[in-house]
Amino acid sequence: MNAMTTRAERKQKVVLQSIAFIILGVAFIFLWHTLKNARAPSGQPASEAILRSALPSLFNNLYSVLSISLLAILFGIAFAFYLEEWLPVTNWIRRLIESLVAILTGIPSLAYGILAILIFFSYADTLKEAVEAFPFPENIGTIPAQIETTVFYAEALTFILMVMPLTIKTTQEALRSVATPIREAAYALGASQWQVLTRHVVPIAFIRMLAGGCRAMSRAFATAALLIGIYTGYYTTDAGGMSGRFLLFLGVALVLSVFSSSLTEVYDSDLA
Amino acid sequence: MNHSIETENLSLWYGDFQALIDVSVKIPDGQITSLIGPSGCGKTTLLRCFNRVNERYGNVTTEGKIEILGKNIYDPDVSLPELRKAVGMVFQRPNPLPISVYENILFGLRIHSPMRSITRTESDQIVEEALTSVFLWEDLKDQLKVRATSLQLEQQQKLCIARLLPLKPKIILMDEPCSALDAKGTRAVEELMEILAGTYTFLIVTHNMAQARRVSEECIFMFLGELIEHRETQALFEDPEHEKTADYVQMRYG
Repeated sequence: MNAMTTRAERKQKVVLQSIAFIILGVAFIFLWHTLKNARAPSGQPASEAILRSALPSLFNNLYSVLSISLLAILFGIAFAFYLEEWLPVTNWIRRLIESLVAILTGIPSLAYGILAILIFFSYADTLKEAVEAFPFPENIGTIPAQIETTVFYAEALTFILMVMPLTIKTTQEALRSVATPIREAAYALGASQWQVLTRHVVPIAFIRMLAGGCRAMSRAFATAALLIGIYTGYYTTDAGGMSGRFLLFLGVALVLSVFSSSLTEVYDSDLA
Repeated sequence: MNHSIETENLSLWYGDFQALIDVSVKIPDGQITSLIGPSGCGKTTLLRCFNRVNERYGNVTTEGKIEILGKNIYDPDVSLPELRKAVGMVFQRPNPLPISVYENILFGLRIHSPMRSITRTESDQIVEEALTSVFLWEDLKDQLKVRATSLQLEQQQKLCIARLLPLKPKIILMDEPCSALDAKGTRAVEELMEILAGTYTFLIVTHNMAQARRVSEECIFMFLGELIEHRETQALFEDPEHEKTADYVQMRYG
């Protein structure tokens, strides 16, 4: 409203950005500490078979990636609605989360991929021991379900960490793209918040939200493809052979990305 | 004379900036009252208090009392949809919803009535009546399915008035309704207001003093958040009591 508040706001923003940065810094130091013993199995690994068969835990499975990123996108959208429509701009939780989101979306997906690999490797020794503890030779190659689940959740978390902030950001942008006069008009006629959202805001913002979701999904698939590429490059003996899944995931990522861009393109030209 | 709107010591803050200072005002029934004053004097803020659209911005604090149609609108039992149904608002820039002309007019009614309770014949009739009262029916009767945002600005603004009418409001607030319109559009909206006054109480914010003089019966002058003078329009313009009013209406600043 006036110059005084903008200066105060700027100060508050700097403080919140710093808090967000510190939180993330602490989180990464903690993660680094837990993962610093993680290393790629060296030598002639008896665990090669295990690692290869453990890979399907998340990334080799199209449906896992699909369902986890879908879930993350849905949560992200719900969360973005809550932030954007229910919390006032001045609310400090909203500002803190927005700062966190801004930092998290800026991290390249490669970094998330490496994080997922680190998590996987940090469990690799446990995995190896667990399988070797099984006396029966026919059990080599199967992994105890419990460990598989742990790895699955840890890696799923990385994916959620990657997909959710992006979705939150794009959804918020989509909601903000709905001009204030439209909302004001509806409110001034006595519409409730729910009616304004369902009848005007969502129909207008939908395509942008969809495009944002596709973009996030494309990012998830690209990272999964990257991981598969690294794994196959590392473990398959017949060098040069690209995994079919790698190509499939990369293809899905590209298609989603192009679809997302064309959606935004269509939407913007529709407005003009 | 009855008063549609009465405020007592109304103060309002945006954060720690006080935008309204102890405003006490009585707006008469069935007339056009205009709010004038230099930019940033709180006219629009005052107007936006009357249907509580100000509250949507998180950092607003209000003190004092506002009675509309004899009811304090800050009472906990007041329903915002009902309040906004009784107190319609027209904005500075025409803001029809990005749906058809037909649905624009019915939107207000639809949100205030149960699902699918309005029959096709009823709705056709409502749309025709609303558009006829704002003299748009002849122009638009073949374009009811057209997106309202593609109309001319003047038609859009008239449509924004028309869409209030099916709700049968008592008061219509207007925030510089003609600032986006040309001279012809302005004249058309003014004539419309003059015809509709009597049925509705109009409160209009305007920067255009000639307009305030032309259309309003009473006039309120505000300055830096305070109400300086509230009198009959002619008296306020020709014989202002207050020095600041005199300076403003004689255009020594603005």
